[in-house]
Amino acid sequence: MQVKSLLLAGGALLAASSGAYASGFQVGLTGQKNVGMGGTGTGLYLDQASQFYNPGAFAFAPTGFQVGGNMAIPRISFRPDGADQGQRTLQNKNVFPFSGFVGFGPKEGKWRLGLGAYTPFGSELHYAQGWEGRYSLTDINLRSVFVQATAAYAITPQLSVGAGLVMLAYGDVDLQRDVPIQAQGSAAPLHAQLTGKADHKLGYNLGVMFKPSDKLSVGISYRSAIDAHVSSGDVTLTNRPASLASSFSATQFDVTLPLPDVYSVGLGIRPSDKLLLAFDANLVGWSRYQNLQFTYNGNLGGAGVTSSSSKREYQDALAFRVGAQYKVTDKFTLRAGTFYDFSCVRDGFVTPETPDADRIGATAGFTYEIGSRFGIDGSFLFEDFRKRSQTQDDLISNGTTDRVAGTYKTTISVPGVGLYVKF
Amino acid sequence: MTTLRFTPKAARPALALLGLGLVGLAGCQSDINSSAPAPSAGSANFTRYIAVGNSLTAGYADDGLYLEGQLNSYPNILAQQFAQVGGGAFTQPLFTTAQANGSGYLRLTGFTATGSPITARVPGNAGRTTPTAAPYTKYTDAINNLGVPGIRLADIQTPGYGSVLGNPYFERITPDATPLQSYFQRVKAEVASATFFTCWLGNNDVLGYATSGGSAQNASNTNLATPPANTITRTDSFNLKAIRIINALTANNAKGVVSNIPDVTGIPFFTTVGPVVKATLTAKSVPGMVILTGGNPGAATSGNRKQITTADIRDASGGRQLFTLTSSNFIPLVGTATGRPWKYIYGQTGLPAAGFGSYLTSFAIDTTQLFGVTAGNPIPSAFVLDDAEQTVVATATTAYNTSLQNAANAKGLAFFDANAYFRTIASNGYATNGVNNSANFISGNLFSLDGVHPTPRGYALVANEIIKTINAKYGATLPQVNANDYRGVLFP
Repeated sequence: MQVKSLLLAGGALLAASSGAYASGFQVGLTGQKNVGMGGTGTGLYLDQASQFYNPGAFAFAPTGFQVGGNMAIPRISFRPDGADQGQRTLQNKNVFPFSGFVGFGPKEGKWRLGLGAYTPFGSELHYAQGWEGRYSLTDINLRSVFVQATAAYAITPQLSVGAGLVMLAYGDVDLQRDVPIQAQGSAAPLHAQLTGKADHKLGYNLGVMFKPSDKLSVGISYRSAIDAHVSSGDVTLTNRPASLASSFSATQFDVTLPLPDVYSVGLGIRPSDKLLLAFDANLVGWSRYQNLQFTYNGNLGGAGVTSSSSKREYQDALAFRVGAQYKVTDKFTLRAGTFYDFSCVRDGFVTPETPDADRIGATAGFTYEIGSRFGIDGSFLFEDFRKRSQTQDDLISNGTTDRVAGTYKTTISVPGVGLYVKF
Repeated sequence: MTTLRFTPKAARPALALLGLGLVGLAGCQSDINSSAPAPSAGSANFTRYIAVGNSLTAGYADDGLYLEGQLNSYPNILAQQFAQVGGGAFTQPLFTTAQANGSGYLRLTGFTATGSPITARVPGNAGRTTPTAAPYTKYTDAINNLGVPGIRLADIQTPGYGSVLGNPYFERITPDATPLQSYFQRVKAEVASATFFTCWLGNNDVLGYATSGGSAQNASNTNLATPPANTITRTDSFNLKAIRIINALTANNAKGVVSNIPDVTGIPFFTTVGPVVKATLTAKSVPGMVILTGGNPGAATSGNRKQITTADIRDASGGRQLFTLTSSNFIPLVGTATGRPWKYIYGQTGLPAAGFGSYLTSFAIDTTQLFGVTAGNPIPSAFVLDDAEQTVVATATTAYNTSLQNAANAKGLAFFDANAYFRTIASNGYATNGVNNSANFISGNLFSLDGVHPTPRGYALVANEIIKTINAKYGATLPQVNANDYRGVLFP
């Protein structure tokens, strides 16, 4: 029953952000308390969101229910290489990642069972009309909802383990670009839109927490990779010249998007009852993503052209996170954090759908408890991507001329709010 | 509230982190313009820019000069960019919108079952519909774009080049009062007040020979003043005139760019048909063909026939012999007894129809023999640029380019190595903003339907290359254009 209602919530809120918070098209805005602390959580047992960060730590987390959402407000600019006619501004669109978790178990018991839903991957970008990279990408909307069922067990009061069964419960993709083919009498070139829904896929996560004292906790977790697969998605072509009907006969496509696995280690330190410090490091296995390959049920670009392949060659990416929370009063807690996230996209491989770069983030958050069982979490995240440039020569030498040379610069602001109930 | 109003700017990010400055922050666009250099002219002055050249400079495309091509000429694109750094008005001898079809041009109408393009001619409407009809409606105002389709460097000092019997495009812009004015005189008149110029002449001094398959009679002429059509201009004559025109252009200390001549054997006009011929002959196990070479009449024993092997036809895998785009309609007739190719060839000469029989006799052509594979009915010389003719073209091109480079260097001018640039395009293509363009016919985006002249996209790339040259030579920071905003081939 819980799962069902969470999925319904998903239907209403389904969205994602433009790579907010972590390299590539990870979103990772899961759990408002964690967001406020720079995205730490592997070494913490704050609440039910531990299911996501470290299912081992979940054994020590309080039971309860929480749901939260964020509004990612990206600001992305692009300036073309060589042709400086000023920067291009995207039709920036706010997106709304969300997460919700519930955790059951005896209050002082050794085990926990939980369910969760969250949006760990996604990207939505709409480039300005007629921008330089229109033949690479005009619009992308990549959305996903994962659900997870978790069990955790404290073997001793110091050591716990946990595991989650993760399902890609919903995913869809909407990719659009112009094709450099123009019909006589048409002002606009051929436009291709690929839309489809992802198959359900299973994965898992695992975690261990070691808590030698109330002042120290150490966590390790692993989240498995999942290959998101869209089969028989729809190809929609507009402005197709009649004489090229047979060269552009495709109506359906298949694609596999490899999603990375994540190794995390984390540390929680409690110097006093009021203060909690957290440190996390993540290694994201983006190197699985080498090529983006579409196959079509017909031609797309000429006789016998029934597939397309575009180099990605992502590399594994590290992220380091630091967070702190301070309990100002029994009712009011403040949080802050920062992180540095290395890009998974190599130089000369930056694509318009993921204008990734090394990024630094700063976060803040609070919790206000209303009565003894309810509370509200707030968070705010600001992320500054390093300016990233690639020249046409870079693209030529890498064989990546299917994308555009120029400079990208992104900042993202993400306010978020969550509610929780303690059982 | 009053305290907030006096909050110093530097404190705002800190407030933002606390979520208090949310609204202001969300409205803030990340700014990367500040790191970009502002456009500047450097040491160049674009107040009055004039463009000297031939069909490429005029914006000729799809085997015609028409309004759309003129508007997308590389000088017009350059002038738009110059205007950002103080460039003045740029006047072209545009056809009016009522005469927008100009000389008429080719349009793609579809593809054959085997995928070969079919083109049809859109008739001209600028007053001159056939070569013998009335001249174009004149345009006699002062102009900045002096591109004249067809003009050779050899022609620049020819008096009356623009008279009614001369070049119709130059005739169109020649003032009524001076019907015998030469191109050189016109350039001198326009350049008197110019501050900047581009000069791209010389292509036609070799192109006519090449596109006619080296079929002109007496191609090695000695006439310095005006060599016959479709022959190669003597290099000493070329050198002299290159120096003359560049001296004239720089007489008032104008700065400028001199462009050299691309290797014509890399253009789709020569690279499109041969691979199809080779594949067809290979599939039918035909070992080779008989072609006419050169322009001299004579029987099969006179040395004007030449055997070429199928393997020697150039395609991606190798070979040397190049077939012209004009041969494409007649290649399917190979192996049949036909006189149709010869009727076409004779028709191109403009001679009276009654002379066709004696024309065939002079070349000892027997149209009852099998076309293309017999000495009695060989492939016409005009359809093949063979290896010997290519050597003639290459030698001349190299010599011309040396002359142009030396003339530019002598005056300290910028030099656009179009030869190197088009060689890059022919071998590797040229990607622009996510689009892989190439020198392929139709699909490559860069060459128009005549297989020789660029599309608007191709002309935009030329403009960008010239901008790079200007920026490097004169320390300017002119922005390039987005070439993808200019069209390639349009499909029906």
